[in-house]
Amino acid sequence: MAIDEAIMRSLKEERVPPTLRLYRWNPSAVSIGTFQGMKEEVDLEYCGKNNIDYIRRITGGGAVYHDFDGEITYSIILPRGHRLAPDDILGSYEVLCSGVVKGLEHLGIDAQFKPINDIVAGGKKVSGNAQTRRHSCVLQHGTVLLDLDVEVMFSILKVPQEKISDKMIADVKERVTSIRDLLASDVSMDELRDALVAGFSEALKLELVPGNLTEEETALAASLVQEKYATDEWNLSR
Amino acid sequence: MESLKVRILEFTSYKIPDGKMVKVRVDVKNDSIQGITILGDFFLHPEDTLVEIEEELVGIVLEEESITNVIQRVLDTNSAVLIGASARDLAKAIMSARRTR
Repeated sequence: MAIDEAIMRSLKEERVPPTLRLYRWNPSAVSIGTFQGMKEEVDLEYCGKNNIDYIRRITGGGAVYHDFDGEITYSIILPRGHRLAPDDILGSYEVLCSGVVKGLEHLGIDAQFKPINDIVAGGKKVSGNAQTRRHSCVLQHGTVLLDLDVEVMFSILKVPQEKISDKMIADVKERVTSIRDLLASDVSMDELRDALVAGFSEALKLELVPGNLTEEETALAASLVQEKYATDEWNLSR
Repeated sequence: MESLKVRILEFTSYKIPDGKMVKVRVDVKNDSIQGITILGDFFLHPEDTLVEIEEELVGIVLEEESITNVIQRVLDTNSAVLIGASARDLAKAIMSARRTR
């Protein structure tokens, strides 16, 4: 999260190009939408015992479990006015999500964008996405599920224990899916990464050039961790 | 004799039909909002607008029309875009605190 914001701030100063970033969370973490209540959404005690981080995003939307072994997060940061970042917010979700849709197609999955901010395959959600507009930039980030453990997800997200019935778990399995479920095959993290790179490049007609964070971005991200993203003041602010 | 003032702290969840989940913490005294936090998985651009909405709702009577109008006014003033919920949806969520009493 801190790196996403550091890239935005650097892009605003025109010190870095528009950036697509693919990453995983180590340790696994739960992120909540910027307007959500941490204690309402997340079982912090369970997270503490199981070495799961928790963090508030700068984007709206819902809580997401970022399992190190089951998920890739992407973020794309563009300057306002870029051809891929139109002022129409709902329209721009569809434009940017087409990168994920195309990436899934590379893996043999027929997926569709579902407004407002989801991508579905076989009628089930396989990716959630969220956007913010600040620092003269548009940031969209999202999760792409490679694998899904509904029982663990329920342990992290705050659903009253007595309500976690078999039916509820079955309901979620009806609504949410993962790439490995869809293909009934053990797709690797690397395959998903390569498919997403190809998907974004083709769908958005972008030439992607591998790169590293600048020293400035790295330093800025470190200070944002210290001053914001690692603090209770931010994470527990609602 | 001093009159008894009724002060009620409420927490409520409201699922927008086919939409997002809104949760509200509200402190109500004599039917007027003393303090409020609006939580949820909706989108609002710019995001800071929500704090302004919460501030502007203080002192407002717990009544759907008045609450809707305040929220809509703040949205309009900030040229803010609320996605996945409307001013009326947020007002209904706040009003559902009243029904849970």
